[in-house]
Formats: sequence, C-alpha cells, structure tokens
Amino acid sequence: MSARYGMVIDLDRCTGCGSCMVACAAENNVPPPVPRATPRTGLTPMLVRKLSNGKDGADLREAFIPITCMQCEHETPCVSVCPQQAVEVDKSTGIVMQIPQRCLGCRYCMTACPYHARYFNWWDPQWPPGMEKSLNPGVSVRMRGVVEKCNLCHARFHTANEKAAAAGKTQIDPADYVPACVEACPTGAILFGDLADANDPVSTAAHSPDAFRLLARIGTEPKIHYRTTQAWIRTLADKNSDRPTEAQHV
Amino acid sequence: MSETLLFDRRWIARGAERASTLRFLLWLFPWMLLLLLGIYAAGLCFYYGLNQTNMDNRFAFGMWIFLDLAIIAMGAGAFFTGFLVYILKQKDLKPVLNSAVVVGLTCYSGAIAVLMVDVGQPLRAWFTFWYPNTHSMLTEVTFCISCYLLVLILEYIPVVLRNRQLRKIPSFLVFEHQLHKLVPVLAGVGAFLSFFHQGSLGGLYGVLRGRPFVYRQGFGIWPSTFFLFILSAVAVGPSFLILVTAAAEKVTGRQLVQPTVFRKLGFISGVLLAVYVAAKAVDTYVWLNITSPSVGFGPSDYYSYWPMSSTFLFAATVPLGLLPALLLILPYTARRRGWLLTGAALACAGVLLNRFVFTVQTLALPTLPFDEFLRYTPSWQEVATFGGVIAYGVIVYSLSYRYLPLFEAAKGVDKNVSLD
Amino acid sequence: MFPWTDGYHWSATHIIFLSLFFMVVLVIFSTFVSAVWRAASDLRTHRAAKLCWQKNFADLPEAARHCRHQLAGRVASRTCDNAFDCRQCANYTQFGSLPSNVPTKNVGVSYSDKLLYHRGHTWVRPERDGTFSIGLDEFANHVIGRPDSVEFPRSLDDVESDGIAWRMTKNGYEIRVRAPLGGTVISTGGPDEGWYLKILPHGQPNLRHLLHGQEVPGWLAAEIDRLHLQLSMPGAEHTLADGGMLMPNLMDAEPEADWDTILAATFLDS
Repeated sequence: MSARYGMVIDLDRCTGCGSCMVACAAENNVPPPVPRATPRTGLTPMLVRKLSNGKDGADLREAFIPITCMQCEHETPCVSVCPQQAVEVDKSTGIVMQIPQRCLGCRYCMTACPYHARYFNWWDPQWPPGMEKSLNPGVSVRMRGVVEKCNLCHARFHTANEKAAAAGKTQIDPADYVPACVEACPTGAILFGDLADANDPVSTAAHSPDAFRLLARIGTEPKIHYRTTQAWIRTLADKNSDRPTEAQHV
Repeated sequence: MSETLLFDRRWIARGAERASTLRFLLWLFPWMLLLLLGIYAAGLCFYYGLNQTNMDNRFAFGMWIFLDLAIIAMGAGAFFTGFLVYILKQKDLKPVLNSAVVVGLTCYSGAIAVLMVDVGQPLRAWFTFWYPNTHSMLTEVTFCISCYLLVLILEYIPVVLRNRQLRKIPSFLVFEHQLHKLVPVLAGVGAFLSFFHQGSLGGLYGVLRGRPFVYRQGFGIWPSTFFLFILSAVAVGPSFLILVTAAAEKVTGRQLVQPTVFRKLGFISGVLLAVYVAAKAVDTYVWLNITSPSVGFGPSDYYSYWPMSSTFLFAATVPLGLLPALLLILPYTARRRGWLLTGAALACAGVLLNRFVFTVQTLALPTLPFDEFLRYTPSWQEVATFGGVIAYGVIVYSLSYRYLPLFEAAKGVDKNVSLD
Repeated sequence: MFPWTDGYHWSATHIIFLSLFFMVVLVIFSTFVSAVWRAASDLRTHRAAKLCWQKNFADLPEAARHCRHQLAGRVASRTCDNAFDCRQCANYTQFGSLPSNVPTKNVGVSYSDKLLYHRGHTWVRPERDGTFSIGLDEFANHVIGRPDSVEFPRSLDDVESDGIAWRMTKNGYEIRVRAPLGGTVISTGGPDEGWYLKILPHGQPNLRHLLHGQEVPGWLAAEIDRLHLQLSMPGAEHTLADGGMLMPNLMDAEPEADWDTILAATFLDS
C-alpha cells in the first residue's frame, strides 16, 4: 500500500525559533554559508518566514511560517519541467525526489515552483576544518551547480526500511521515520505522518476546519498543510482571498 | 598603409571592394577586446561557479536567459527567410539568404554558448538527450536547437567553401555544389525545427502553473504562448535582418541589397507583427479575465508595481507593436528608408520587451501572498558575457562579409551549372 | 532516449517525440552523407574538373562571357551560357557557318594561324606522334614576362579539360593555367622551350571549343581592350595607345596595377 507522507504545521505553536532549520541543515549536510551569501543565495531546505498582518500598534499581529517543499501531488510543477527527469514523485511514499547527480543545474524547476522551495548550490560546499566530522553519512553531499530541496529526510525513511527488513517486517514502524525538523521542534508544531492512513493523526489534522494550504487555488495539491485559529493568517494563504480558504480535499 | 595586403587580398573575391587590411583590423579590434572580456567573464563563472552572477534562488533565471530568448527570436530571420525562398518560392529574397544564415548561425551558437555558462553543470548537458523528459518544454528546446544548429552549420558550409581560395580545392568546390543542391531539404527541416523550438520557448513559460503571470490555457499540450512566441519570432526575424543588413551597409559604405528587398522583408514583418498584436490582445483578455482569476490572481497582482506596471503592457502593444507594424506596412513610411529602419527597430524592441517581461518580470512578481516584488541587477560578468556574444556575432559577420560571398548580387550564381 | 535507458516509457508522447527527433537527425545526417557521397563520386569519375570550371564560369561577369561567334563578328551580340564548351553547344554549327568579320588582323600581339587557342590564353599544337603541345600565348607571355617559378604536373598524371594544367608564380601572385584539353602528361617544357606541356589525349580529342582562324584576332582585340581598361585604373602610370604593340613584361613594368583582378580575368580563374 503506498503512503502519502505529509505534514500539518501548527502556526499557533511555531515560535520562529529556527530549530527546524538548524536540524534540517545538520541532517542534510548543508554547508555553512560563505561570507558573500545572502538570504536569497543561501541553502535553506527548511525556511522559517515571518508573517505580519501589516497593522500598527495594538492591532499588529505577527506569526512565523516554516516553508519547505510542499510535496505537490497534482501535476507536480517541478517534475514536469525537468529536462532530464532528475525530479520524480516516489510512488510508494508520495515524496518528490531530486536526483542531484542527474541535475544539470538549469534551474527551470526553481522557476516553476510557486513556493520557492528549491535552492541552488551557488558555491562549492566547504566546511571549516574539523566540521566535516559532523557530516551525516546517510546523506550524499551535493556539489555546486545543482538544485536541492527538502525530501522529507528520505535517508531516515531508508533507515526505517532497513530496520523493518532486518526485523522481517514489510511495513516500517512510523515511529522510526521522523524527519529532522519534526524531531527538533521544541513546541511540537510540526505533525508528520501518512496522509493516506486514516488512523494517522496527521490525516485527521489535515481535515480539520482550521487547516489550510498555501496557494491551494493553483491546484498543485500540496501535502504540507498548516493550521491556525487566527483568521488573518488564513487570508495570506491565497491571493485575493478576503475570506478563509475553503478546505481543499486531501 | 591604406592598401590591402597581398596576403589578405588573395582571400577576398576578385573584383570585390573591401576596406584596407589596417582599417579592417581597426574595426575588429574593439570587438575582439569585448569578446575577450566576455570569455574571461565566462571563464570566471566556469572556474568559481555561478556565484559570480547576481542570480539567486528567486531570480534563478536572469539576464542570460533573457539574452537567449531574445537572440533566438532575432535569429528567426534565418529559418524564415529560407522558408520564404525555398518553400514559398520568394526568389527576390535570395540576395539576403546567405547573410541571414550567418546571422542565424551566430545567434544560435552564441545562445548555446551562453546556455553552457548558465547551467550549473555544463558537462552534464548530454543528460537531456540521454534521459529526456518528453513532457518538458526545455527538453524540446534542447533537442530542436541542437538539431537546428547542425542545419545552420550545413547551410553555412557552402558559403565558406565559396571563399576564393578554398574553392580552388576541387573536392571542396564539388562538395559545396552537392550540398548546395540539397539546401531546400535543409530549409524545410530548419523551418520544421524552428517552428517547434520558437514555440517551445514560449511554452517554457506558458506551462508554469506556479506562475500565474505567464500561465496560459492553450490547445492540446501547447499553451497559447507557444503560438504567440512563434508569431513574434517570425515577425521580428525579418526586421532584425533588415537592421543587420542596413548596419552592414552603413559600416561598409556600399549598397548591398536592392531597397525592394528591404521593403518586402519589412512588409512581411509588419503584417506578421499586426497579426501577433491582435492575437496577443485576445490572449491577454482571456488570461486576465478567465485564466488568472481562476487561480486567484488578478491584474492588480501584476500591474501595481511601478515601473513594471501596465506601461510595459501598453508599450508592447502600441508604440512597440501596432506602430512599427503600421510603419512597415503603409507605403508612405515603408518606402522611406529612415521610417522603415525605425519600424524595424521598434519591432525588435517590442519583442525584446516581451522576452524581458516573460523572463525577468515573471520572477520579480510575487506568487506567495506574503512575498514582495523583487529586484535584480546583473553582475558585470553577466553583462560582459552578453557583450562577448554580441562581439562574437559582429566578428563572425564581419569576417564572413569580407571573405565570403554574402551578398552575391546579380551574378548568375550556379544557374548554368549542370553535368551532362 | 532508447528503450534500455533509465526513465524510458513506452508512452505515446515518448514514442512520438523520439520518433520525430530520430527522423530529423536521420534527414540531416543523410543530407550530409549524400553530399559527401556524390562529391566523392564526382571526384572519382573525373567530373570534378568540369564541375569546378562550370561554377567558376558562372561567376564570371557577363562582359567576360562573350561567345566566340560575337568575337569573330558572326553575330552582333551573344553571351555564352555553356562554359565556353562549344563541344556541347547545340547552336555551334548554326552560328559557325555564318561569315566572320573582324576589323583588323593586326591586334597588337602576335598569334599564329597554325595554332588553336583556348580562352584561358593557352595554345594547342597537334604533333605528328599523336601528342599535343600546349603553350602560353603571346598575350599571356607579355603580361607575365618570365615567371618566377613553374609547378608542373608529374609525368603520366592526367590533366582534365578546363581543369588546372600547371601553376606559375610571379611577383608573389599565383597563376593557375587552365588545360585546353585533357590527357596524360608525357613531358614538360618551360618558358625557355617555348611550350609547357606535351600531353597524350585519351582517345580522339574534340577540339571544337578551341579558337582558330578569324576568331583569334577578334578575341585578342577584346582581351587587349579589357587589359587596357584594367591597367588604366587609378594607380597605373602608363597606358597603351590604340594600335600599338603590347609591351612585354607588364607585371614588372606596372607592379602597382591590380594584378589580382587582371590575372584572374586573363586565366579565367576565381
């Protein structure tokens, strides 16, 4: 049975601490940025952004929203545009996979992604002496000139599979497959699981009336959901919506 | 020293008037410098990586992609003139055919060179051929442009082999003769390939559902931008050819083609431009009223940012669209060289603006509601590479003009050749 | 790309796309190969020289393509459209039977009634042993003077009719002399011998394309007019008076003239 791994991120719980970003970088062997790097040339497969309702004084409201690859399900924009099939959707997990060894670095997928969730290696990766000892052996290092993005810590899924296989099981134990950002979040704002499994808490959360997705009207069917009780945040989910986004089918 | 050196003279066609060797070298010198600067800038990008540019994760495509799209639209004159001459039998355009081939060759080879610098891993360019994604417009572009470059090279070889010294080698002249006989086949293949890749360059953007600014409905798998880009390319190709030929006439100080050739090219360009503007107007209406609102994006999401506001849309339609079309069609202006050249230049500017809007403005416009409008300025390496490509085109064209029969005028070329 | 490549799908789009691509590549490749093949075939079957000559002829200006019958005064005006190859000309006999009419036989350069002349300024003399001697006519000799070097074909090499018989250099200019007829090279001479090549034609040669009789002075007069015009271009010092004799060693006497153009027009080269 194929899974559809996704997330529901609770924006009422997100404090903007950035632990998810750090954990992601550590897990995925993201090199430290060079001195010349800017927020627009950095490698941040998980990126926490700040939202504001734009008002003054006591009416001002701010929140934080972690942005990552939305794992789009329907006519995935980056999959159809890659000229050499370096991006494909893994049918058994629903994860949008990037093959860095096949990537030409044309960056067409980056243009296609409406969530700007793809990042380019503008520099060769360099670690200060000694820091290479902290590299995760389960994740390959990418050289400059290729695109990368969040793949829901697929290496951890791989490890969970190996563990299950060693124990003679055909299905992984959900507790064994937890992405780094989920694990690191101190408030437990990120809920991760199999959206196809009706018993999985993430599936229930995604169906809740508080849940929404970014740019749902474009129709890419992202598997990363958000939830919040604050209506002003939901109006920022879609362009020109002065009402909360209708719950899309999940 | 104002004469042509004997060594140099020997390579120039008998009876052809050309500038002295020194004057020619002086003409070439600044372009060579510009080319060297471009090569150096490209070298920096190859060595250090694309961090030498000002592109970033939001402006993943920058000046170079704009350059590529623009240059390929301008180079459409090559295939279109070949199509007009060999398929539609418009023989009076034959005098500009060789020149059009050179323009096409430099445009396409320059575009491919820039593309190789633009991608992160140029050595993996063959991956597109080995693992092609037939759903991707970029695959289509890659395949067609590569094949078309081969066609252009095969069309250029006969011109080179007719050089005064090279033609003395019997095998070269015989090969030129046999290849020249097959040029109509190449023209047909070239037209077929060009139709697809000019369109696919528009399709590159039209399929991006993540960018409602450029996403379009279409026919079958092809968005409307596929057809609009073909139209604008065939509209601007002849105009660019007029400008290049007129520039060559200015620099060399002699008339190279009959004015009637300019008028005919201009008329064709004008008519196609008018059709394009009409089609674009319909497309814009459909897009702004149906396609875009269906995903929640309205005109204010695109046009409330100054200066990239409705002035660009207006500019592309009227002063750089309808106006040049009229200048090129109406006899009063088309007959006068100054107006004709103005019309051609405005037409080219209009298509350049259109390509800019699609490549750069698309990425500047926010998609997420909480994003802002972004700005991008190319780095000197990007500008230098751009300049290098232009210099490369000028140098190749200059060499071709000096040593090859680019404008064969009224001589009965190959008319009497036959084997009994 | 191919069925065994990773990512290949047997889907309609894949098949259509790749079929079109392979077809296009095949057409381009076949065009190139076909041209190479035909060119090789031309070279192998000795059609190359004729083809090259026809292409060069097509590039000559109209003023250089007057029919011999016009030069002989048989017709008022006629331009050759057959690469000077009267052997293949359908109209030759029709015009050839008309009376000729040249203004004067004294044209300023000597020629012989016993020789046959080629438009490239060579003469042909049949010898008793079946060979043919080929030399440069007086016009060419006076233009060039004494060549700095001569490069002959090797003995027993073939020369093709209207192909290149031998090469000379003078003052840095290269001169390629066209063969008036084809055959095997038996022996070579030089400027001192008075002839340059002795060749043995293959079979019985057709010499119809060579000028003789009244055509020769008519043609030489036109050639001197042309030379006069070309030498009186800016930069030249001396011009020839009408009715005088052609001076020898013109290339040494007028080093500043446009010999490039003059030599190409004289020897029918590009």
